[in-house]
Amino acid sequence: MNPLLDYQFQLNRRQFFGNVGLRVGGVALAMLAAKQASGRATASSVRVHPAQPGLPHFAPKAKNVIYLHMNGGPSQIDLWDYKPGLQAQFDKDLPESIRNGQRITTMTSGQGRLPVAPSMFKFTQAGKSGHWISELLSHHAEIADEIALVKTVHTNAINHDPACTFVMTGSEVPGKPSLGSWLSYGLGSENNDLPAFVVLTPTWSSKANAQALFTRMWNSGFLPTKHTGVALRSGSDPVLYLQNPPGVDSADRRVMLDALGKLNQRGFERFGDPEIQTRIAQYEMAFRMQSSVPDLVDLKGETKSTLEMYGEDVTKPGSYAASVLLARRMIERGVRSVQILHRGWDQHGDLPREIRAQCKDIDQPTAALIKDLKQRGLLNDTLVVWGGEFGRTVYSQGKLTKEDYGRDHHPRNFCMWMAGGGIKGGVSYGETDDFSYNVAQNPVHINDLNATLLHCLGVDHSRFTFKSQGLDQRLTGVEEAQVVKSLLA
Amino acid sequence: MSKFPKFFCVFSFAYFLVVVPCVEAVKLSTNPVSFNRDIRPILSDNCFACHGFDAKKRKGGFRLDEPEGAFTPNKDGNMAIIPGKPEKSEMWKRITTKDPDESMPPAESHKKLTAEQKQLIKRWITEGANYQKHWAFEAPKPPLVPKVSSPKASIQNPIDNFVAARLKKEGLRSSPQADPATLIRRVAFDLTGLPPTPGEVEQFLADKSADAYESMVQRYLDSSKYGEQMAKHWLDVARYADTHGLHLDNERQMWAYRDWVVKAFNKNLSFSDFTTFQLAGDLLPSPTAEQLTATGFNRCNVTTGEGGAIDAEFIFRYAVERTATTVQAWMGLTAGCAVCHDHKFDPISQREFYSFYAFFHSSADPAMDGNSLRTAPLTQLKTPEDDKRLQEMDAAIKDSEGKFNGVLASVVYQDPATKNPPPAPREDEVIWLDDEGPAGWKTQTPPNFVTAENGKVFSGKRAIRRQAADVEQDVFDSDTASLSIPASSKLFAYVYLEAANPPKAVMLQFLLENWEHRAVWGDIDAIGWGEKDKPSRARVGDLPKPGGWVRLEVDPEKVGLKPSDKLKGIAYTIHGGTVYWDKAGVVGRVDPVNDSTHSLVAWTKQYEGKEPKELPENLRSIFKNTSSTNRSPEQVTQLRNYFLSKVCVEFKPSFDPLNSALAEAKKKREEYNEAITQTFIWRDLDKPRESFVMLRGAYDRPGEKVTRNVPAIFPPLANTTNATRLDLASWLLNPQNPMTSRVAVNRFWQQFFGIGLVKTADDFGSQGEPPSHPELLDWLALSFRDSGWDVKGFVKLLVTSATYRQSSQVTPSLLARDPENRLLARGSRFRLDAEQIRDNVLYVSGLLETTMGGKGVRTYQPPNIWEPVGFVGSNTRDYKQDTGSALYRRSLYSFFKRTAPPPFMTSFDAPNREQICTRRERSNTPLQALQLMNDVQHYEAARALAERMLSEGGATAKDRLVFAYKTVLSRAPSAQELVIVSQALDSHLIRYQADPEAAKKAITFGESKARGNLNVTELAAYTLAANLVLNLDETVTRN
Repeated sequence: MNPLLDYQFQLNRRQFFGNVGLRVGGVALAMLAAKQASGRATASSVRVHPAQPGLPHFAPKAKNVIYLHMNGGPSQIDLWDYKPGLQAQFDKDLPESIRNGQRITTMTSGQGRLPVAPSMFKFTQAGKSGHWISELLSHHAEIADEIALVKTVHTNAINHDPACTFVMTGSEVPGKPSLGSWLSYGLGSENNDLPAFVVLTPTWSSKANAQALFTRMWNSGFLPTKHTGVALRSGSDPVLYLQNPPGVDSADRRVMLDALGKLNQRGFERFGDPEIQTRIAQYEMAFRMQSSVPDLVDLKGETKSTLEMYGEDVTKPGSYAASVLLARRMIERGVRSVQILHRGWDQHGDLPREIRAQCKDIDQPTAALIKDLKQRGLLNDTLVVWGGEFGRTVYSQGKLTKEDYGRDHHPRNFCMWMAGGGIKGGVSYGETDDFSYNVAQNPVHINDLNATLLHCLGVDHSRFTFKSQGLDQRLTGVEEAQVVKSLLA
Repeated sequence: MSKFPKFFCVFSFAYFLVVVPCVEAVKLSTNPVSFNRDIRPILSDNCFACHGFDAKKRKGGFRLDEPEGAFTPNKDGNMAIIPGKPEKSEMWKRITTKDPDESMPPAESHKKLTAEQKQLIKRWITEGANYQKHWAFEAPKPPLVPKVSSPKASIQNPIDNFVAARLKKEGLRSSPQADPATLIRRVAFDLTGLPPTPGEVEQFLADKSADAYESMVQRYLDSSKYGEQMAKHWLDVARYADTHGLHLDNERQMWAYRDWVVKAFNKNLSFSDFTTFQLAGDLLPSPTAEQLTATGFNRCNVTTGEGGAIDAEFIFRYAVERTATTVQAWMGLTAGCAVCHDHKFDPISQREFYSFYAFFHSSADPAMDGNSLRTAPLTQLKTPEDDKRLQEMDAAIKDSEGKFNGVLASVVYQDPATKNPPPAPREDEVIWLDDEGPAGWKTQTPPNFVTAENGKVFSGKRAIRRQAADVEQDVFDSDTASLSIPASSKLFAYVYLEAANPPKAVMLQFLLENWEHRAVWGDIDAIGWGEKDKPSRARVGDLPKPGGWVRLEVDPEKVGLKPSDKLKGIAYTIHGGTVYWDKAGVVGRVDPVNDSTHSLVAWTKQYEGKEPKELPENLRSIFKNTSSTNRSPEQVTQLRNYFLSKVCVEFKPSFDPLNSALAEAKKKREEYNEAITQTFIWRDLDKPRESFVMLRGAYDRPGEKVTRNVPAIFPPLANTTNATRLDLASWLLNPQNPMTSRVAVNRFWQQFFGIGLVKTADDFGSQGEPPSHPELLDWLALSFRDSGWDVKGFVKLLVTSATYRQSSQVTPSLLARDPENRLLARGSRFRLDAEQIRDNVLYVSGLLETTMGGKGVRTYQPPNIWEPVGFVGSNTRDYKQDTGSALYRRSLYSFFKRTAPPPFMTSFDAPNREQICTRRERSNTPLQALQLMNDVQHYEAARALAERMLSEGGATAKDRLVFAYKTVLSRAPSAQELVIVSQALDSHLIRYQADPEAAKKAITFGESKARGNLNVTELAAYTLAANLVLNLDETVTRN
């Protein structure tokens, strides 16, 4: 072999994979075949995209994350934060002692009064843990003991755009990397044929105008752009540009790539630029993705009982049910983080009807995801997070009857839950006041929650930094964040 | 004219005559320690957060960022540093102690000093602990151009002296000049964003004159594509995009700013004007449209229109963003830290930040952008053609008004109320809609008017024909008309149902406050609006008999209307069938004496003391503020004129056409005027806002009041009382300002060499990297400034240096020694930018459409980029791809939606333009590979290139492949390369011969059609060969 080449390998600053990239074709294909047979990628020695040196900081409990983001801000009062005492307060004004002069949005600040709207939904206790769960999430009763519920999450922002940006990037101002990008950067990828960070944006059932998503919610910000989340799409091109053009098949591509590899190799011999080697490797990975991604999204191999567990929507491409099943399949294949953004939770009016439709989308599939991960032994390795960008007010926005009300944005306390690797199932953490309007005990800021999440993955959030604009930037921001120990197993 | 050549003369003279032996490079360890080079980075990283500029966070009373602090005892009498005596210095004790409670930096900071760093600190203290101001805050001093004894070819201008001197010190040598084909491709991409054509390459190779290289450079500098290439970089700094960026992320119209940037570079606007126009163009005396457009720089920030958002919060945020962007763009500093607290690393206090912010805090734009295309302040950009058209339209309006006034003057009117004897009440028909609708009428879709020649007409010259599959409507409404309903009246209209194709139902609908007034003939369930059998859907009768004109009549009461109601519109609706409509109105018993549509007295009486909203403003105020007894003659005339021309039934036939013509002429002008491009500009509020230090950066916690000023570490503003943005701009451009020129030249350097002399182009503060060649940076900064900020001259200086012209070939040992090429012992080689990658394939395939400027175009984009993320009500939710030549415009002109930018940009590291970006990443990913292979834009270009290969490339496969290489890579393939590509081509040929169907498909991807005269199989195989060439690493790399 060319001595210059050999030497280059030692130096390759992007640490690409051993010498697979060089032997274009044969070896790469063989590797793919081997991986498919064994299911899960293991050998870290050939990782295309390894962890940063020193990471994880300590032995991780979880290796992967599935983040279920309920976009728009689900009502904690109608789902998780059980307040039976509110029934007696129906249509009474929210006491000033509770509101305490806190800012409210301009959507309700002009409203004459702020009448209390108790939830119209029944709550029952579930599992050994005895979590109170709304009838809207009846399937969640089966996973109650896996869930660590946090009732006192709070955030800085009161409107969607900044709040979504904050919950995903730790900053209200656009430009910071998202959680999944941080993980891709820090912990690398366990799979050479799939991206480390995948995003799904399923369909939703609410009829009201849904809030927008922003690609900055999965953007890499100041981190290298290869850590940007890859949006997995329903339809024939699950990853952008995956399909060959019409009239071009995989064999044609192979011929073209073999020639391309040889020609690029000659370029490398001429110029000695290690980027050329990286490019050769990336074309090979692209080729492998052309088969690994269709394999990933093909549900033919799933058993009938599995499909039934996820519910009838699971066969509808692009549904939430199909998305969580895909999330499980990705975790099996070593994808580091999967982010599912389910829209339609912004219920300013007509809340009871809208939230029913939304819960129907997610209830059974979410419970199925946890059970399915568990039965496959994956739940120990996987952290599942559920929540929105903020909660909703106890007072009604607009018309209030027993069966019809709306709720405005409420950043001061809302509910999120975590389950899986590193998490103590069945815990309920934090208490709110009788109106679910203020934190009464044990507040958990979004930055604390993210610190806890990183902790489960073996990462000390305070040491997990990247230098940008002269600062050691981190996901959890400037102010000190705390790992919430009570949530940990 | 560039002022740079004078430097060349002076210095080249120097190299010829003076050959001074270079001093042996001195080993670093014997060099005295330099605070800025060696110590400040260590302290900044490890100590300043607690022992630096931020007084509030300072611990233990120790301050290490300046000598006054370090050499002063704290309250316990300890001194951080005693110069010359490390052992007695508290700092040294703390960094070397074994006691974990005493040890610095503390364990919880996760910072740690290495043994070498500790030794450096010790040496520095021993040598006297000499402090220096941070290098970037000292004004650049003219450095001596080093004298070097290098061969002539490797010294083209003083840049090379600095680089060569450094290389010599490092024991390295520069690389030889790259071969000419590589050079011209490098220059062409760097200056125009496109490769050279084979003709340009040949011309350059054939030019044996001494200034061949310089003339080649000059040709590209003179090309209008130069401005497009330069603008691309600045638009990242300016965070330019075509949408607002937050929440709905609707479209905004400010592409004129983007075009201004292109023009500014092309006409070589000096960097000083470039600065002043953008920061303060509105404050220049009688600013031109160009200067106003330039102020769009600080209107490019993201804005919101989100319901519920709090105004004060966003006014604050915009001002912070604009301040931080300005500081970073011109001064290379990260001011954002000082929003919440004093900067920990750089000497910018929170108070100073807000003093700077005060320059930008009084922008006249609103907190909420209204989600509208245009958010004021704006400027309209009229072309001479626009002026001409507007004058013509003004003349047309004047003409209509003249006719109108003529008729008005000739009217003879006697109020029936004053007649003796008064006229008796009578049955009267008032027509609302015949050949014309009510004055100022609008339609949702233009009605299909027919004449007797092509349809049925009942009255006048025309009628309306409507053929429907389902429910369809003709709607007429008007803001100015008020069709008044007389007593005991009936509403009527004439209709003709085609016998061969009758509808299920016909309906008349009336607009009062709303359209909930419907009269139906025929199937009451056919048209589902309103509530059945209520005024909102009342059944009046059976379907009229087809084959003849029928008069439909309905009692107003039946559809919820009453006498003296004033209608604003009427609609004809059918369900299925073919129908003609003609003449609609009202017939009723009219008493001219008391009827407001006959008697001026009666009309006036109903409004006395009121503010009737159906009347124009001037009349409303007359009725509100005067009574019939105290009106001036002018006011009386105004009322009379309005009544006669708009209300009085007697003169309706005369005035209706005049009113319509005038309204039409005005509407036409308004529409034309509205369609003229506008662009966002900066203007201050008439009364500036007061600015305060905002405690902890909270928008609702104002602290101390501040006035406009600049940080004290820099030279002062010339004028500190009521300083304006114009003062700020001159301050930035003041020769004493240490930042502006350095930051600008470093960004240009980065653009042409891949990495800046200061690698952290966005941070010249103490957390940034110090320059690799400090003297060169200062020399460049001073040259640029002294040239009168001549940008083209400066660019030419860079690209004509021998340093720039070096070959990029690298040996393993050099690569190991200097992987990032910071020492510049070789030429740079890097992947093309996103825009260049796309423009390149369009250009070499002959598809590129070179039209410059204008509204952003919507190029090829895969489905579901915008849709899955877009807000349902956003006007940028559904991507509607353009067709034709718009698909092939330069990437600079593609529509950029911030919350879902085009994948061809983001996959290749373009920022999403939500905030300033001074430095793009250059990643290398599998998604890029997929895109270059399979994206329709790239694949279609491969087919177009294949067509060129077959039509222009010669008769043999070899000739055609050579043609492709020359077109794409500016060089012929080597024999081995030719073999590899030919083999691939052959196997594609065999495959497509065996499967002609696949071949057919393989040439149909994309909107453009393949030339019909080419053999399909051959074209398919060549398309894949072209696809191969376009995917080469060399193709996407500027070398």
